[in-house]
Amino acid sequence: MLPEQSDVLWTFLAITFSVFALYVFINVVLHCREREDVSTTFWGGVFGAFLVVMFIETSTMMGMIQSEQLSFFFSKMVLTVFILLLAWGVFFKSAGIEAQSPPIIRAFFWWTTISVLLAGYTNWLPQQRSDPPPKAAAIVGEITMEEYAEMGRVIIFGAKQVAGQKAIGKGQCPLCHTFEAGNNIGRCPNLFGIAERGGTRVKEERYMNEPVKVGEAEPATGVIKGSPQDIQEEYRRAGAGGHDGMIGEDYIRESMMCPTCYVVKGFGGAGDLKSPMPVINKPPISLSPIEVNAVIAYLQSFENPGDFSNVTVPLPSQDDGPTEEASGDDEEQPLFVTGSEPIEEMINKLGCPLCHTIPGIEGAVGELGPPLHEKTNAPNRIKDPRYKGKATNTKEYVRESILDPSAYVVMNEAENELFPDGLMPANFKNMLSVEAIDKIVDFISETEAKG
Amino acid sequence: MRRSTKEDKAMLGKSRGLNILPIALFLAFVTYAMPGLVGDASAKEAFAEQVFAEQAFAKEVMAEEEAAEGEGEPEIEWSQDVFYKDFEGNPLKGPVSGAPAPELGENDYNNYEFAPSRIILWIANQQHLYFGSFVLAVPIFCMLIEFVGIRTRDSDPVMSEKYDRLAHDLMKVSLTAYSWTAILGGVLLFTFITLFPGFFKYMATIFRPVMHVYALMFLAESGVLYVYYYGWDKMNDGGFLKWVHCSISVLLNLIGTVLMYLANSWATFMQAPGGIDEQGRFLGNIWHVIHSTLWNPVGIHRILGNIVFGGGIVGSYAAYHYLTARNDEERAHYDWVCYIAMFICIFGLIPLPFAGYWLMKEVYAFRQQMGITLMGGIMAWLFIIQAVMIGLLFFGANSYLHNSMSRVQGSQRYMKYCKYMVLLLIVCFTMWMTPHTIVMTPAELKEMGGAQHPIVGHFGVMSAKNTAVNLMITCTILCFLLYQRSNKKITVPWATVGNCWITAIFIGAACNIVFLGVYGYFLPANQRVGLSVPQVTSTLTTLFAGTAINISMFKDSESMGDIKWGTQSKVGTYAIFLLAISFTWLMGLMGYIRSAVRLFWHVTEVLRDNSVDAYTLTIGEAGKMLTFNTLFVWVQFVIVFWVASLTAKKGEAKAPDAVPVPAQQQQ
Repeated sequence: MLPEQSDVLWTFLAITFSVFALYVFINVVLHCREREDVSTTFWGGVFGAFLVVMFIETSTMMGMIQSEQLSFFFSKMVLTVFILLLAWGVFFKSAGIEAQSPPIIRAFFWWTTISVLLAGYTNWLPQQRSDPPPKAAAIVGEITMEEYAEMGRVIIFGAKQVAGQKAIGKGQCPLCHTFEAGNNIGRCPNLFGIAERGGTRVKEERYMNEPVKVGEAEPATGVIKGSPQDIQEEYRRAGAGGHDGMIGEDYIRESMMCPTCYVVKGFGGAGDLKSPMPVINKPPISLSPIEVNAVIAYLQSFENPGDFSNVTVPLPSQDDGPTEEASGDDEEQPLFVTGSEPIEEMINKLGCPLCHTIPGIEGAVGELGPPLHEKTNAPNRIKDPRYKGKATNTKEYVRESILDPSAYVVMNEAENELFPDGLMPANFKNMLSVEAIDKIVDFISETEAKG
Repeated sequence: MRRSTKEDKAMLGKSRGLNILPIALFLAFVTYAMPGLVGDASAKEAFAEQVFAEQAFAKEVMAEEEAAEGEGEPEIEWSQDVFYKDFEGNPLKGPVSGAPAPELGENDYNNYEFAPSRIILWIANQQHLYFGSFVLAVPIFCMLIEFVGIRTRDSDPVMSEKYDRLAHDLMKVSLTAYSWTAILGGVLLFTFITLFPGFFKYMATIFRPVMHVYALMFLAESGVLYVYYYGWDKMNDGGFLKWVHCSISVLLNLIGTVLMYLANSWATFMQAPGGIDEQGRFLGNIWHVIHSTLWNPVGIHRILGNIVFGGGIVGSYAAYHYLTARNDEERAHYDWVCYIAMFICIFGLIPLPFAGYWLMKEVYAFRQQMGITLMGGIMAWLFIIQAVMIGLLFFGANSYLHNSMSRVQGSQRYMKYCKYMVLLLIVCFTMWMTPHTIVMTPAELKEMGGAQHPIVGHFGVMSAKNTAVNLMITCTILCFLLYQRSNKKITVPWATVGNCWITAIFIGAACNIVFLGVYGYFLPANQRVGLSVPQVTSTLTTLFAGTAINISMFKDSESMGDIKWGTQSKVGTYAIFLLAISFTWLMGLMGYIRSAVRLFWHVTEVLRDNSVDAYTLTIGEAGKMLTFNTLFVWVQFVIVFWVASLTAKKGEAKAPDAVPVPAQQQQ
């Protein structure tokens, strides 16, 4: 359900509670009429009042949005039903009418309790909504190789990460591949060192002959193995030649566009002759030429962060791909905040609420990092003997913390230890325009704890 | 204690109907399903592919010949199938016979203000499926129960009449539910057409003939159903006409199964399409479109699921009447109906995970990343929830059996083992629901020394989970065997040998399951997956060999007393409610998982979902929807049962003359 809509479950339960109150009212009145010693007026009045309260609460629920409904349901409606059940029990016992409520009611509450507990259990688990990836990543202005490789990282791992969940981007690579040195427990080969390995692998005997021979077309994709010059034109490397001139980039590209052209031993089906990997430029992954190159750029550089000397793919120009914002949610694109957005949108776009509690930003209740009460905290931190930064006032401190998070690591008072260093991304300088960072610094500098 | 008498032997003959029939049906199912479980994923397609490949090749040659004869380029355009392959593993070609899948835009989606279209469609679909499942399951029960009633007519006319009356009563409820299902189907259709017109148009274009056949089959189902129900008394002549009547139930089930399979083809096509090319163009062979790769496993899985679901509903229905029974005889009757329903329910529950394995195997064979998205990607937490639900189901089933034992004389001999079985179930359940990783703060991560706990983390992987679930199923089978022999004193000369064999089979199976589970930790992931087959085989061995030996030992056994029907404890009765509600929730969950794994596709890889609802819900949002759907359908079931009860004559409320004794206890 959308945030501005009512929740279907709580609304439904509110209605059933009203029906239940009606049922109790009728049940009580019928019992009272059957027996002369029980006052219909009194008990009818009591349970009629419950019925009215329940109707009012239900109609209130139906006018609420889902975030309001949750607290109202548990604090008001459940309480009312609980008191109603107690009153019903008192009625049964005091008049010696029944030993217990009808089985249908007990079954109803038994079923409802189990089902609501199950819903509660699902809400206790980590929550991650997965939006569809954009059809193709957009290029915003001229970009550097660092940004291009970052785009590749986002395609592989996604922009958002939730602790305890595997990070998976549009390319879905981490579903099967591992990327850390020595981690060989994945379903598919570890990609650490693939850039270098690819260049030498194409010369190996096994590559030359299995599953198809170099120069032959792989049947499922039609890609001619070991022949970069025959790769689909828009994906082809400029100046690509035949097998003799193959470089690591060609091997990686061929592996993505024709996974069965070569299958690493122990990782394929049918005697390592068939790869389980999807063709990356076809649905469901459907990476564009720019995206394929971005992934290659990342794979050629991720082992040595900051060193892009081994990257052989060219930087894309705006002519290469879509320059407008792709339709739909753009979470999978490299982030860039221009400063023209409202402050809340900027902060949400950068993902700050995932880790920080930020007064004034709805839903910013993260706890992985320190709460941002910088109006009061920043002056004290600058005075801290541990502080080695260059800031002399709050705004400078906030700016420094965004651009260089490791300059000062805040103490987590509750745990009596420092917040983890290195958790906060250090590349915000690539994501913010001058205007954007000014606005954010101004805003954060004024934040303080409520009350 | 008394020796089996002549009457008892007559009962034995009668009981054979219930004892052997399920096993025979089970074996028939296994015979059908086993090739898919153990064979190569594409093997089942081999024969069909041969025929299709030959047809396609012939058409292609003819088209080329026409072109060569000077008539210019062939008019027919040929394209490659997205799924089907020829002998050499190359994509099968077919003549393009339809338009490509459209690029859907804003105008292809409509919505209401109060809820997202996707949620409305989900509710409409799920409600229809729940009711469809129930009305498909009940005729299966009725067919079996009526058949058993006919077979027991000579040996025990009283019991025979009870069976017949039970089947008739169930059909009465089903008849009301049938109309309700049709109404919900209409709601679903209109929801589809009005909210997703672009998508529906594409599906209708592909499945045009299937949809018409479906409508006609629905007519046939209605006709046969009415003849079956309204002809019950008229055809109850105790002879030929009764057999004809029972045969009509077979026909009814056949038509129902075809109906379900036709509707399944739409869902399985959306998840794993075949018979079209990459652009979504129909390639001229409607059977390819229907018979896509998941069609058979989904069909089998749903049949079994329907049986369990139907058993749960009928069990709840009987449990409710048991709680509201006005006298002992009525209570005894509904206690017995509870038993029959639970017997059918557990009978369907035990093979259900194996059908699930087969389905997942086919999913992996179709697209590995789809399988991994389910088991290791964004859907992985939903499988943890599934694990919890399955654990609940097994707890419910065992709890019912344990409580049921207490009303059987002679069961004291075995009751002492119940606490150990409960302990084993708790240990396995804990292992089964241990997640691989959980959300933690950095401080917690640091304290634990990594994302996985050094000890508990080992229970989060598949090796532990396969071991746990197989042990839980084995424990349930053992519990059932003990229940079967609760009131029997075994007298066959080979009793000791038989007991030793049963003990050896269970201990051997448990050791093998545990050994393979531990061994899995030392193997890489792709090899580890293969260990699940011998683990499942061990479990199945306990089921088939254990049950066969157990039943064989009942020959000439002495009865230690009758079952005290009507003394079922309240815990046992509420365990039935727990089973029913858990299974309803689980059914919704698995349906959601199956459907949501398409992620942002209406038809995987072919027709992209460009609506604002194309996201995958958070687990919490999905959980709330599942709870709503579960409660909503149960409210409707209560209404349907109430409506059905309005037609009951006053005389029918009279308690049965004698307390029926189910087959398992009749010796």
